[in-house]
Amino acid sequence: MARKQSLAKPLTGPDNLPQQTLVVDNGAHTIKAGFSSTSFDDSEPKPEDCQVIANCIARSTRDKRTYVGPELLDECWDFGELAFRRPVEKGFVVNWEGEKAIWERSFVDERAKLKCNPHETNLVLTESPNAPAALQRNADEMVFEEFEFASYYRTTAPTLNSYGPSPFPSTSDSAPGVPLGCLLVVDVGHSHTTITPLYHGRPFHSACRRLEIGGKTLTNRMKEVLSRTVEVQKEDWIVQEIKEDVGFISQSFSSDLERVWKGGLKDPREIDTSIVVDYVLPDYEAVKRGFARPHDPTISRKQRALGLDGGPREHIVTIGNERFTVPELLFTPSDIGMQQAGLPGTILQSIYSLPENLWQLFLANILVVGGSSKFAGFTERLESELRSRVSEDYIVRVAQAKDPLKNVWLGGARLAQNEAVLKEHVVTRQEYLEHGDLWTRRRFAGKVGR
Amino acid sequence: MATGPLRFRTPHIEELPITQSRQAPGFAWVAVAAPPEDPAKNWGTANRKRARANVGGQTETQKEALSARQQREVERKIKELNSDNSKDVQIPIPKKEGGGGGAARAGKTTNTKKILASGKTFAHYLDDEEAEIARTGRRDGEAEVVPVAIQQQRASKTPYARRKAREESSMSASPVPTTGGSAPMRAGDPMEIDAGEDGDADASMPSAAEIETLLNLPPLTYNQARSAPPPSNAPPPRRFCEVCGYFGRAKCMKCGAMTCSVMCKDTHDEQRCLKFYA
Repeated sequence: MARKQSLAKPLTGPDNLPQQTLVVDNGAHTIKAGFSSTSFDDSEPKPEDCQVIANCIARSTRDKRTYVGPELLDECWDFGELAFRRPVEKGFVVNWEGEKAIWERSFVDERAKLKCNPHETNLVLTESPNAPAALQRNADEMVFEEFEFASYYRTTAPTLNSYGPSPFPSTSDSAPGVPLGCLLVVDVGHSHTTITPLYHGRPFHSACRRLEIGGKTLTNRMKEVLSRTVEVQKEDWIVQEIKEDVGFISQSFSSDLERVWKGGLKDPREIDTSIVVDYVLPDYEAVKRGFARPHDPTISRKQRALGLDGGPREHIVTIGNERFTVPELLFTPSDIGMQQAGLPGTILQSIYSLPENLWQLFLANILVVGGSSKFAGFTERLESELRSRVSEDYIVRVAQAKDPLKNVWLGGARLAQNEAVLKEHVVTRQEYLEHGDLWTRRRFAGKVGR
Repeated sequence: MATGPLRFRTPHIEELPITQSRQAPGFAWVAVAAPPEDPAKNWGTANRKRARANVGGQTETQKEALSARQQREVERKIKELNSDNSKDVQIPIPKKEGGGGGAARAGKTTNTKKILASGKTFAHYLDDEEAEIARTGRRDGEAEVVPVAIQQQRASKTPYARRKAREESSMSASPVPTTGGSAPMRAGDPMEIDAGEDGDADASMPSAAEIETLLNLPPLTYNQARSAPPPSNAPPPRRFCEVCGYFGRAKCMKCGAMTCSVMCKDTHDEQRCLKFYA
């Protein structure tokens, strides 16, 4: 049908799409972007083809410089007291002024690694699920009227996962552009965690759920609890590194907490030093990057900071239960008083809102992606909690993507290799100018054919 | 059931209706109407400590006000934890080298000019959309789709407009989607029953048509997609020591924060308990 119409109106059909496609997974924390092309059909997109760009404008109080987007990771070497401005709020691009500056620096500027001519490039752009329509319109207008990409496909980020490589060893990878059959995507992002059941690459919209705990919640929480001992309220970047370096998901929360308790006033107990670590904070002179080492109770933190005890002068923060009580929020949001079910509960809310005979399909095909799912023990804990909550008759299978950060991008890149599938999804600039923004939005929602 | 109020607040003691008018020997709860309080007569014989505690904020309404205040405090804190940008910092976008940035930044068309100059935050967009739904009963961009859905779910005789209004009233709180309340779920409900009853022929999968219907449901709004609170029979929230992060075992009488040991309690009293007058 689509073919017939495009024959009737040859001007509107995407008959001559450019070969090159820019795939942009526009995350709140980092943009994952890279090129894909219909011309290299046989070569699999690799994670190395994907650039990770900080999606922020950062201002350093030390060298009084403002870093825009990719400059932060490429040129900044002192991450102390960085202040951030993020154009993406709650997972959606809200401040296009900032986002435009970052995009221009990343894709248009002469220094950009991913420099391209938008007129000869297709764009695949991701957004968070359940977006307010006004924000979708803003994105469409900016892409076509400001950047003037040749054609454009906007979709929710979890959807692209079903075009990615298969996470389960028993299923072989599908051909580029062919979605996996059934997938429940758990996307643990920077702003929040979303649950999306996908059926052949299409989401069950009524079962999408969102848990409002994400990487930034954990970083902010870590900042708060570490500030009990060391003042780190201004050190977003360093605390984020601490969280990534030492954080883990406890498999048995209360016993781990018991092990690192110092005890009461006259309690002779020893704390378990296998969990407690000393984290050496970077000073960006001698120590360029913070690192953890086993806890040494003989070191006095204050003396070491002044260089009085003979050892190297360094700032240490001792981290005990913070290592796992902070990531624990993903599983128990009630620990900070949040009135939302934890991750396993939210997944089950999503699954139980579907017809009963679909439950097994999704319970056995859970895919975990997103940067905050990289905590050690995440998949194991999720699987065991789900296991204990559903009937024994169901098979529960949880897999983490090989590259949780770039899996969405890989999916998008694989989709963009298949010209037929790409044509089916995109809206060309000509179509946009002809039919307007409402039509474009409904087309991306799958409501109108071409 | 007894007419007067029982003085016990234990939820597990249930008073069974008694058919006999006269009690057999044994045990039964009897409601006793409290004698009317006469403050003139009460000058020392009653429990003064309890009376004082009653004055100091332990009536039902006062307790509610207190918990509402705590709830607001918790919400403020969560909002802070979920904030995206650095606090109290304005970071302007640096001017491009070689000038000419000013005109380019303003946007190429009227639409993009408007978008780029907009100072709206996400909360504004969300409120706009909620207001739009409350006013028109549908989301922008679903002009012709929603009426079809209404046709399908016309089995319920509630006028659509009224039903929608009722739903929106609970929009701000997170809804429990499985119990209905959102339009998409209603449309899905009859199908679920079908699948359960005559799904024997193909118990493993719903039919392609059913799946197609499900896939075509419109997306939930931002607020509808939020995870629902845990069920009421879930364990109560854990409280942690404010000083060291271990399980909180004692509550500060002044500010309500939890501590785990005498040592932490001392630290709390010295450094953290900011509330000097309770």
